[in-house]
Amino acid sequence: MNAEGFATELPWMWSGLAAYALATLVAISGVVVQNSGAASTRGGRFERLVLTLLIAGVALLAAAIAQRWVRIGHGPWISLFELLMSQLWSLGVIYAVAYWRMPRFRASAVVVLPVFWVLGSWLLTLEPKASHFPATYYNEWKWVHVFLGKVYLALLLIGVGLAGVMILRRFPRALRWFRSMPADDVVDRVAWRVMMLALVFDSLMLIAGAVWAQDAWGRYWSWDALETSAFVTWLALGVGIHVRLTYRVPPWISGAIIIGIFVLAFTTYLGMPYVSPAAHKGMV
Amino acid sequence: MKWFRLLASLKLTLVGMILLVIGASFSYDNRLDVTMWVLVVPLAVLALNLTAAIFTNARINRQPGLLMFHIGLLSIIVLVAIGRLSFIDAHLEIAEGQGFTPDLLLETKQGPLHAGRLDKVRFVQGNYTVDYAEGMHRGLTNSQVLIPDERGQFTTKIIGDDRVLVLEGYRFYTTFNKGFSVVLTWMPDQGMPVTGRINLPSYPLYDYKQDNSWTPPGASPVKFWLQVSTGMREDAAWVLDARNSRGVLVVSHQGQRVELQVSESTRLEGGQLRYDHLSSWMGYKMYYDPTLRWLFFVAIFAVIGMAWHYWQVKGARLFPAEAQHSPSVDKTQEKIVER
Ligand code: HEM
Repeated sequence: MNAEGFATELPWMWSGLAAYALATLVAISGVVVQNSGAASTRGGRFERLVLTLLIAGVALLAAAIAQRWVRIGHGPWISLFELLMSQLWSLGVIYAVAYWRMPRFRASAVVVLPVFWVLGSWLLTLEPKASHFPATYYNEWKWVHVFLGKVYLALLLIGVGLAGVMILRRFPRALRWFRSMPADDVVDRVAWRVMMLALVFDSLMLIAGAVWAQDAWGRYWSWDALETSAFVTWLALGVGIHVRLTYRVPPWISGAIIIGIFVLAFTTYLGMPYVSPAAHKGMV
Repeated sequence: MKWFRLLASLKLTLVGMILLVIGASFSYDNRLDVTMWVLVVPLAVLALNLTAAIFTNARINRQPGLLMFHIGLLSIIVLVAIGRLSFIDAHLEIAEGQGFTPDLLLETKQGPLHAGRLDKVRFVQGNYTVDYAEGMHRGLTNSQVLIPDERGQFTTKIIGDDRVLVLEGYRFYTTFNKGFSVVLTWMPDQGMPVTGRINLPSYPLYDYKQDNSWTPPGASPVKFWLQVSTGMREDAAWVLDARNSRGVLVVSHQGQRVELQVSESTRLEGGQLRYDHLSSWMGYKMYYDPTLRWLFFVAIFAVIGMAWHYWQVKGARLFPAEAQHSPSVDKTQEKIVER
């Protein structure tokens, strides 16, 4: 691995990822232990530990991002390494709040936290070399666009947790794990409620992005890879919401739709940079 | 009115949305061989469907937030259509000291109903600088433009990148496409001298071929090649600025080759050519779309509607700790569905 960043952000980043990894293991053990007949207070202790570890992970990643910011002179806006690290941080922040505020749904962390592993492992394969800050990134709409995007993805991730539970409940063994969670119809309603909030933030993110693109490249929409994929994802959210208004959808299909939308969103966010080299084609 | 209810069907909404997903996928990269109908047809279906639903479906028109959102969507479709009919998108290259005129526009694309006041747009291009970071990464562009008022006084403005020049609704954006020009005076053996300029290819993109040609009246073509030194470097930051650049003009004509420094001249067939000075040109993208501001407000209006709906119908808690307790939700929903 490249030595760049070793003296600054990397150790913090590794510890942050380790904290998330531990949180995942504790969450899984918690769900298994709690539902093997042991007293629920023990489950509560596991949950507090998960929350503490999540907060620790967030704080450590914040330190890593800050170190890097100081080192290279700009925020985590450009390279995939930066985007992933910053995303792991913001997903952690928002998921920790949701975990804290939605106690009856905490068992769904066993679905959500492995997603952090996937992103974290990916992050470990990337080089932390300094990135170049393009002229159009001085625009202040960047902050609005990025903030909204982060909230949007985090809401989708919360939805994925609930979706995963609805799907896993089709397997008798897993049914026990989620005894502490409400019945499927409730989980389904809450999941789609979160999806609607995600649609609010997605729409706002697209608006802010369009304003920025108009300033930066002289067009608000131009069907580049990222824009096409982002529009399809936005519409997929609309389709998902409308399918449920039009048909009676069994919980596991409902869950599969949510996961499909999440996959689309993540492909947009993290996959499209591979299709067009810069975040947007018009960028350079 | 049965057909109107059919038109309002939520199943049709799904069909329209899926057609739009397909249309959007085809629109990727704005390929010329893909017709715009792949978007127009699904949008038209959705617009009709939505209009019918707004009139006939109590589930939508009795819930104010939802109604706001969907009316917002409909208005966005209408505004985008107006935008596509009235937009104009073009490029232009304008040299230092030159005034903008509509005949500078290149690669113009415009909607059939475009009716702006392009003839009222006036500005004069000044000098510009472009920052480059180590590794030839382009940084900020600062382009000076002079804008006249009614009394003929000029105000200077610095624009560049996302700092846009907006005149009469026309938006001018600097681009990566910019370069040098040489100002020359042609003194024919008979007649008055004329001063003009020759733009060289984009710099530093084509730094290896800064050449162009020109044919004096009644003579054979003259080839120019500019040996320009700008301080360009890969290993450190530098600034592109015509005022700090030097250029030797190599003139080839009828097998002869002469190198001219600024203010030197050479004898060609039919007259004398003087190299007055080195100058620059900037490439702009010009864009006009009268709906931009409206699109923004309408989109925000729609989202406020959706957020309101979220808050109203689904109970006012952001994080549903106990999701079963939302009686107000279910009652509203049931009442509406019963109708
Ligand atoms: C263009 C044709 C459309 C029609 C005819 C239509 C119609 C409707 C109707 C009748 C409802 C009532 C829901 C209820 O029973 O409470 C609804 C809800 C909704 N629609 Fe649409 N819609 C259209 C397009 C869209 C699009 C493109 C989106 C977003 C991408 C969208 C997002 C929503 C949302 C978020 C709700 C609220 C769902 C809820 O309360 O759970 N709609 N729509």
